Formats: sequence, C-alpha cells, structure tokens
Amino acid sequence: MTLTRRQALGAAAVGTLPLALAGCGFVPSAAPSKAAAGTIAFTTWGTDAELAGFRSVIASFEKAHPGAEVTLNAVPYEQMFTNIDAQLQAGNPPDVFRVPYYTFGSYAGGDQLLDLSKHLPSGFADRFTPQAWAAVQQGGKPFGVPHHTDTNVIFYNRKALSDAGVTSVPTSADSAWTWSEFRAVAQKLRSSLPSNRYPFAYNWQGNGVTRWLNWLFQDDGRFLSSDLKSAAIDSTQGRAAIDFTRTFFPDRLVPKNDFVKSSTYAADAFANESVAMVFSGAFAIPDTDGLKFEWGSTFSPRQARGGSDFGGNALVATKAAGGKAELIAEFFDHVTQEAQMRTFCEGASLLPTRQDLVSDGISFTVRPELSKVSVGQASLVRASDSGQVASPNMSKIITVLQTQLDTAFVGGRGAAATATAAAAGITAAVA
Amino acid sequence: MTAVAAAPSRRPERRRRHRGDAAAYGFIAPNLGLLALFVVVPLVGTLVLSLQRTNGFGGGVFVGLENYARLFADPLFWRASANTALSTVLVTGLSLGLGLLTALLLNAALPARAVLRSILILPMAVSSVASALIGKLVFDENAGVLNALLQAVGLPAVSWQSGGAPAFASVVLVTLWLRLGFNMLIYLAALQGVGRDLIEAATLDGAGARQRIRYVVVPMLGPATFFLLVIDVVYSFQVFDVVFVLTGGGPQNATDVLVTYAYQNGFVTRDQGYAAAIGVVLLVVAVVFAVVQWNTSRTRDLTE
Repeated sequence: MTLTRRQALGAAAVGTLPLALAGCGFVPSAAPSKAAAGTIAFTTWGTDAELAGFRSVIASFEKAHPGAEVTLNAVPYEQMFTNIDAQLQAGNPPDVFRVPYYTFGSYAGGDQLLDLSKHLPSGFADRFTPQAWAAVQQGGKPFGVPHHTDTNVIFYNRKALSDAGVTSVPTSADSAWTWSEFRAVAQKLRSSLPSNRYPFAYNWQGNGVTRWLNWLFQDDGRFLSSDLKSAAIDSTQGRAAIDFTRTFFPDRLVPKNDFVKSSTYAADAFANESVAMVFSGAFAIPDTDGLKFEWGSTFSPRQARGGSDFGGNALVATKAAGGKAELIAEFFDHVTQEAQMRTFCEGASLLPTRQDLVSDGISFTVRPELSKVSVGQASLVRASDSGQVASPNMSKIITVLQTQLDTAFVGGRGAAATATAAAAGITAAVA
Repeated sequence: MTAVAAAPSRRPERRRRHRGDAAAYGFIAPNLGLLALFVVVPLVGTLVLSLQRTNGFGGGVFVGLENYARLFADPLFWRASANTALSTVLVTGLSLGLGLLTALLLNAALPARAVLRSILILPMAVSSVASALIGKLVFDENAGVLNALLQAVGLPAVSWQSGGAPAFASVVLVTLWLRLGFNMLIYLAALQGVGRDLIEAATLDGAGARQRIRYVVVPMLGPATFFLLVIDVVYSFQVFDVVFVLTGGGPQNATDVLVTYAYQNGFVTRDQGYAAAIGVVLLVVAVVFAVVQWNTSRTRDLTE
C-alpha cells in the first residue's frame, strides 16, 4: 500500500494532535505519557523491605503505563558493582540500576550514564531538596534521580546511659550535643562501664568512611574545593575533625577494632552490648528487632553547625539505554512521586528526598517514633556537602580517606600530618 | 643399498606414529580449547590492560610500562608483596609439616581414626568465605571466642584485629586450618604407597622409628611433597577471601596481600591498569617459583 502525500500529512496531524493539545494546556502536563512502552531492565540490591518496596512501585508503574514492563534483577550487594562494571565493559548493562551517591560520580564522570536533562518533566528538580538534587549532578546536568537518603544519628542503650547518669538526650537538631558535650557524655560512660565495654562505636568501616565527613561538615569544613578540582581538607576544620576523632582511640571511647578498615561493623558491637551508643543510619532499624535491651535515637553532634553525610542511593540509567529514555524518565518520575516515595521510605526505614515529605515528615513502619530524629538530621545536610560526594573521583578519594584515617586512628599519627597526607592523596586523586 | 632398503620399512612406522599423534592431539584439543578460552585469552587481556591507564570504562590510554614503574615506587605494593611472601612461607611450611605429622598419626592404628580424618577434612567441604566468617567469630577482639577463653584462664586479651602482628597471625591460622586437611589427605594417600617391605628392611637393618621416617618414609613421599609444595605456594599466592572477610587487609595494610591489593586498586579505586600490572607480577612470580621448583626437586619422580 502506498500513501499519498495528503494521507501522510493527515496521519501526521492526527499523530501530533495529543502533543499539540498538551502544549495548549488541554491535556494536563502532569499526566503520565502512555505513549512510551517497552521493557526496562532494572538491577538493584536491597533488604527484604527495600525489594518489597521496589516490587510495589514497579507494579503501580506498570498499571499506570499499559505496555510498559520493568524486570527487577535483585543481586547481593557484594556482587552488585563488580557485575555492573563487567556488564558496562561488555556493552550489555541493565537499563537502570541503583547506586550509592558516593559511587554515582564514578559512573557519571566515566561517561556511562544517560544525561536525563532533556527527558525529565519540566520542574522535576523542584520536588527534591537542594542537597538531594546536587547529589545527582555532573557538570550541571542530572544523571540520575535521588531516590532516597539516609544519614547518621546516634542509637543509644537507655540503661547504659541512665547508669552513667546521662538522664536526657537532645530532642531537636538545634539542641544536639556539641563536640565537647558529646565527649563529656562519652567520658561519663567510660567511667561507668567495665573495661571490656565502650561508650560508642562509629560506622566508618569500608566505604562508610564517607561518614567520617560528618565531623568535617559539622565544623563547616570541606574536603574538596567548590569546583571539586582541588583538595580542601588541610584546613583548620580538617585538622580539628581529625584531631577530635583520633582521640576516641587512646581515650578508649571506642573499641580498638572500630577503626576504618576493620572487618567488624559498629552495629554488631551495639547489638552485643559491647558499646552503649552507635552511630547508624535509619536503614538499620528493622534489623534491631532482636535486641534484648531498650534503645532510642538522638541527633548527631554539632560544632560550628549541624552536619551529616548524604547517604542513600540514586537511580540511574545507562547510556546504552538511550533508546528508552522517555520510558525511563516516566519510570523515574513515577518512582519519585509523593505516594511512592512515602511508601518506600516508610517500609524500608529510609529517608525521603522530596521537599514535601521532608517538611511533612514520614512515619517508619518499624519504630515510627524514631522517624522524626532521622528526618530532622537529614535536613541538616547542605547541597555544598552532598555535591562534594558526587565528585567523579570519589572512589579514589574514599581509598585516600581509608588509608590516611587508619594511619591516624591505629597508627597514632597526628592530625596535622594526617591532614597534609590526605590533601596530597586527594590532590593526586582529582588530578 | 642398505639405506635404500631400510627407507620403505620406516614409512609405515612413521605413518602409524603420525596417526597416533593426530589422535593424541584430538583427545587434548577440547581441553586446549577451553584452556585457551578461559586462561590464555584473559591472560593476554590482563597483559594488555597492564599497559594502559584505565578506569575500566571506555578505551584506556596506552602508557607502556608506566604501571610497572609505579609498582617499584609504591610502598603499599612492597608491603603487600612482603606479606604475601611471609604468609606463603608460613602457611606452606606449616601445612606441609603438620599435614605430614597428622597423616603419619592417622595412618597408624588410632582409635576414632576415621572421625579424626573427617574432622580435619571438613574445612575443605565448607566455602572459604564461610570459614573466614567463622574465623571472625573466633578472632573478634571484643566479643570473640578466643579472647574470652584467654581471659577465662587469666591471660590478657590479644589485639587480633587492631594489632598488626596478631591480625597477620589470625590470617595464617585460618588459612592453615583450611589447608591442613588437604595436605593430610594427599600424604595419607601417598603413605599407602610406601611398601611394607621397605619399612621391614629398614627395621631389620636396625633403623628406629625416627630413622625409618627420616630415611625411608619421607624420601618416598617426595612426589607428594613436590605436588603439595607447588599447589600450596600457588594457593598462598592466591589467598583472597580469607583476608578480605577476616581483616579486610587491615590494620594499616598489615594483612594486605597482593591479590587483595590488586582488588582494591581494580574495583574500589578503579585503577584497573595498575591492578592488572599487580596481577601480572603475581603470575610471573608463581611461574618462576614453579619452574625453579620443577628443575631443582630431586625427589619429585622418586618411586620404588
């Protein structure tokens, strides 16, 4: 069958009518496009609660988008990124995958991710907090969507604190312990606890070394310059943060095996009551079901200001999935809608990245009374803090921080020498 | 004339030999194919990668021998090399010695011999990651079994995780636990092959128990020892999971070995060219060791 010119123009006019109407405002622009169809291959790791959340949001997306399908490939975290790297190198990556913010920069900077700026709905960025949106930028363009966050608060053993004479804990971010107040609490615990128990443990093991940055941010310091191209850790704030944290070890405020490269996680020490307090993200709350003691949570310490790491994960699309960009953009739009993000975060004890949810608050399914502390703590993160962690060189910087902080914590090297060595390492990493 | 007459008689023999060669190559062809696909190709790929600067994404930049030059100036590489060498010497020596000792004991008429053999072989049946996790429960310096036992008998707790030397010892002990069963098993099998007549002859010549072991049994176990030495050394060079799970290479790189250091560079720092260079060095060292051992071992083919 051959089309005449008139038939072809008529068909084109009918085909473009919905777009023209949408442009004139006859079709609500917020309505999801039903035109995009196809299959999205989505690879992630997750706890049971997180995977249940993903399955739920995928089901609602497929229901709202007939013809669209999302295949969920859940893998263990330990295999996640060696698999993703191998798939990227082999040229057959998934369309979409989940990635921690501190790893995001390596993929975006390595030209492996899809630039979403032309595909996301207009005003899309406005739904997120500035710090969340900054965490998925590379060269001023979004290469992912901030799906959720998480940040450190303090979990404390009520009886251990009460036995040490600590009868109250801060109930708001503004009244959080200063560094010196926190140290005083820790020293009270040191005096009351037997020698084989410790005041607290810090969760900076492995890639969690980025959580050491909380101390730096609390003193209003930086580890990278504002253009992310040079080291900024060798500063008064950097040396103060190193000096304060390295004294945890000789003062026996943390267990000796709580160093950065330790294979024992801080949460384990809290669970077996080796420590009275632990720094932890809200994600660990569902795992505390089996604890045989009463515990609560309070805000992380502050110094010049309140500060916290921007933990959590983004969703990104690979460059190879460029042919499905519209469908993927619709999926990302759906996943970050208010209802979907609330359900996911409440079920998995994670923190939202949407401004409205941060303002209104959420209520965790497990231990809902702890939600306020974690959401409040996350609101202290600044875009200038989260933007540094999105550096394309963050993987190398993590190695530098691990090595240098271990030398200070275990090797006893001084703060000034450590800051200088860390700055040299970071300079080499960003070169 | 004799030469002319002899020539036709050699042709059928040569044809038969060629047919035999062809059949032999036919039999080994599938293995050679698999070896080429899964060993030679990745090896060549690693060699090429080691000459590049690359984070693994996209094409790398050819830098010649720059990655190898960096190795010489990298103190962490030398630390990991020294750790690898020391753990290889300790694990290989101890697993050979203890393997022989346990094999000699369990070759004798001991009560519950089968049970004891099974207990020693058991770690071979468990994944090394699971074994390392058990090691973590034992060596945790706050809540571990070993420190609890030491303190129960009035001894001080040991810094199994935060002390460099104790952490290294914990890696050696767990690796030894994993390897002992295999060494014992091979020696046990080899002991079955030592003829009773040799032992009887030595006894009649007045050799005592120690002399029989020293001058008869141990030399007769030469091929087994040669096999175990090569396998144990190669295994020690490749130890990864025990270190990764038990200590993560810490504290302060005290337990980092070449493979964990290569992993750190390849998959954490994403300096894949440099990681490949470490892998090539490890391969060269292992091959050199195997060749030297092959050429210097006097007892590898010893039989009655």
